[in-house]
Amino acid sequence: MGGMFSTRVIVLMPVAIAINIVLGYTVQSVLKLPIYLDSIGTILVGVLAGPIPGALTGILSNVIWQYAPGIGGGTIGPFAVTAGVIGLMAGLWGYLGVYRSRPASGIGLWAAVVVGVGIIAVLAWRIYTSPIYGNDPSAGGYGAGVYGLIIAIGIVAALGVGGFILVRRDAAGAWVAIAGALTGIVAAIVSAPIAAYLFEGVTGSGVDLIVAALRQGGQDVYNASLGQGLFSDPIDKTITSFVVFIILTSLSSRVVARFPLGERLVESRA
Amino acid sequence: MGRIPAYVARPPVGAYRSLNPATKLVVALSTALVAFGVRGWSGPLAMLAVVLVTVAITGLWRSIRRYLLLSTPILVSVLAINTFFFPNATDVLVRLGPFAATGTGLIAGVQGALRILAFALSVAVLSLTTPTDDLLSDLERRGLGRRAVFVIGTAIQTVPRMIARAAEIVESQRARGMDTEGSWARRIRGVLPLAGPMVLGALGDVEERTMALEARAFTASGRRTVIRELPDSRAQRAARWTIGLGSIALVALALADVVNLP
Repeated sequence: MGGMFSTRVIVLMPVAIAINIVLGYTVQSVLKLPIYLDSIGTILVGVLAGPIPGALTGILSNVIWQYAPGIGGGTIGPFAVTAGVIGLMAGLWGYLGVYRSRPASGIGLWAAVVVGVGIIAVLAWRIYTSPIYGNDPSAGGYGAGVYGLIIAIGIVAALGVGGFILVRRDAAGAWVAIAGALTGIVAAIVSAPIAAYLFEGVTGSGVDLIVAALRQGGQDVYNASLGQGLFSDPIDKTITSFVVFIILTSLSSRVVARFPLGERLVESRA
Repeated sequence: MGRIPAYVARPPVGAYRSLNPATKLVVALSTALVAFGVRGWSGPLAMLAVVLVTVAITGLWRSIRRYLLLSTPILVSVLAINTFFFPNATDVLVRLGPFAATGTGLIAGVQGALRILAFALSVAVLSLTTPTDDLLSDLERRGLGRRAVFVIGTAIQTVPRMIARAAEIVESQRARGMDTEGSWARRIRGVLPLAGPMVLGALGDVEERTMALEARAFTASGRRTVIRELPDSRAQRAARWTIGLGSIALVALALADVVNLP
């Protein structure tokens, strides 16, 4: 029985689901960073096996995490929709071979740096000028703080992406960053109505401060959720994207090539 | 970890626990649906009442307390953010420095908190009264499919093992100098030493497991015979359909403003 649900994929999926749940839980409670990092497994399955397995991995991760005795999350269940979309997009990136290593040097390498840094800068600027952060920063005392943070994070992200490409001499870094940022933006857009309608835009974690800041600036529930999402999700998914890339390049070609989309990851390897 | 396997244990006793797992699943899903779908007071309060009655029948007070504790951060957050930051609210109740608590916000906050509480508790009741194996076994008998059952069942089993492994990795990386309490930059650098070994270790035996499953005819066609039958009755079947369709209808009517509940 082959196809996208081969035995290998069926064996990979529960491992990926467990990775999502455990990493998401550990990162939030041990490292206490305002990122989720609960999509590594989803994107891994999407890239290796295709959009449908990826989407299912995401959906099941959220549903099982909600239901899991012991670490059951309070609000994670309904965001299965977002996780499904993330998995679908990861399948798209898999088809496009985004996570394939592309060793480069000289001009090719610098071109990748420029592309990567450029796209990150453009995305950060689009988010920065989005009307949901308030047209008038002086209307609420905290609006300006959120602006400043976005600029700072944009600069750090651009430097990080550029540095990654240069240090590893791998032009794929640009594509990985773009894929991650796009996934994050879409995830934020999909999550906002769910968060706003079901949970008044609140998640019970540190990012709620952003929601409070936006509401103080006069935004309604939906826009405050969207604002918080567009702040956290692109960062989270870009970091996730790089982690997935590093993991995939660490696996041997033999292991990767046996997955349905594995060949697209190993083409350029000798 | 020293647990008696499910097929050796006695069948669950108790009026609610001995119901068919699918019935309990339908109850949990319907409760969640009505709690979120019917806005205002009646939806959440009614579902909360249903859940509390179930908790009373099954005697789960002590176990429920832990779920309540887990939900506390988000309940506090919903109350605080809605009370103090509700957009366009003018009926101020009290001022605390630059923050103004509004009546509209408080009502929205309390309703939101009740909704989340009803949802969280209904999931908790399902999880505490229904062993996973029973639920999956029943769903497989109804046609869920061997591969889906494998994925869900294995995932649920793998999570506790992986948590223990993650704790080991955190300890060993800390011993090598990973900083989990320093500045943000340090903590972000801690992500890869944590995620890397965990993921690579978990992926390590995917190949072997694949071979093992294929050697055991996992991919053979045809349905498996589920030997362990869980009792079901016509009354429960009728109840499932009624509760399921009824809650969908109720939410649809409430959303369409045909039925206006307080």
